[in-house]
Amino acid sequence: MECNQAQPLIPSYLDGELSEAQAAPLRRHLLDCQPCRAGAQSEKNMKRWFSATNAVAVPKGFASRVARRAFAGDTGEPRLEPSLTFVPAVAAALPGAATEASEDRALRFVLQVTAAAALIVIALSLGLRGLSLPSGTSLSATDGRAEIGVQKAIERLDRMNREEAAKAPPATSTTVEIQRP
Amino acid sequence: MEAAQVEDESLVRETLAGSQASFQLLVERYQERIFSLARHYTRNAVDVEDLVQDTFLKAFSRLDTFQGQSSFFTWLYRIAVNTILDGIKRRGRSPVNIVEDPEAVAAPGSTRVSGPSAGMERDEIARITHAVLGELPEIFRAVLVMREFEDLSYQQIADVLGISIGTVESRLFRARARFKDKLLQRHPEFGEE
Repeated sequence: MECNQAQPLIPSYLDGELSEAQAAPLRRHLLDCQPCRAGAQSEKNMKRWFSATNAVAVPKGFASRVARRAFAGDTGEPRLEPSLTFVPAVAAALPGAATEASEDRALRFVLQVTAAAALIVIALSLGLRGLSLPSGTSLSATDGRAEIGVQKAIERLDRMNREEAAKAPPATSTTVEIQRP
Repeated sequence: MEAAQVEDESLVRETLAGSQASFQLLVERYQERIFSLARHYTRNAVDVEDLVQDTFLKAFSRLDTFQGQSSFFTWLYRIAVNTILDGIKRRGRSPVNIVEDPEAVAAPGSTRVSGPSAGMERDEIARITHAVLGELPEIFRAVLVMREFEDLSYQQIADVLGISIGTVESRLFRARARFKDKLLQRHPEFGEE
């Protein structure tokens, strides 16, 4: 095997992708050829940059949470604001869900709850204000029995006053003097 | 067919029949590998979790399209790679996009690098490696991550990316050459004569 045949095979050889029929002549060439051997060593050196990986920490309850969301109809397609995913934030804020992300999620959860509470208060305020204001174009009062229009009520009161005035004896005029201190 | 693949296909059928527990088992089988993949693209733990979650949710919503022609893992991994790259773009932390023909014939690599120094901490090595990877076009970064970190075979990479094994080889060759160049730009002390 010549160097120009060996060099392109070195990466695949180091990746374990060559058949024995391909690897055997390459190995023999590397034993004989110092420059190609140095090239192979450099490739191995480069691979060492990829060896430093830490263990993956999967958040507790991740699989059950995802399965629940999937069956609830969440398709994982882009949302309007991808970072505001409410359900995992709630789950992450629950005791026992200790993950690298839990602090961020808890903070996000608190902010979301605060925002939701503020919206509810504003909505309730507007609703109650609307309830306490009169509405419609006519005034009316209810006494629990029947609704009487204002005009009718005034007429009825006038009639009652007139009837009482007719029954009462003629009034005598008296003067009461009030002494001021 | 391998036992794991048979079990996967059985779990897929049960999931499609309405079994939430079966889907949960599928997630448990592959969650670690998808988390591992995602964290090579972003160091933000919340983003990683969101991306992995979206991967499984998308897989679930498309489960009826899984034909069993490739393994469930390859099928899922393809969804994961696309979801992660799309998600990172949306979050405005896009890997460098390709600006050249990735399959152009590369000159034989002449750049030589040494490995990390003996006294370097794992975190320091990982920090340098990810910084260099972050400067690579995503098309090169993807093959390097799959091969070097995830230990996928050329065939698996080809299946995930929908390209030929020959294309995987040439991309890997160029990706490694580019990685070495960027590493030496940042850290000339790791160069070798």
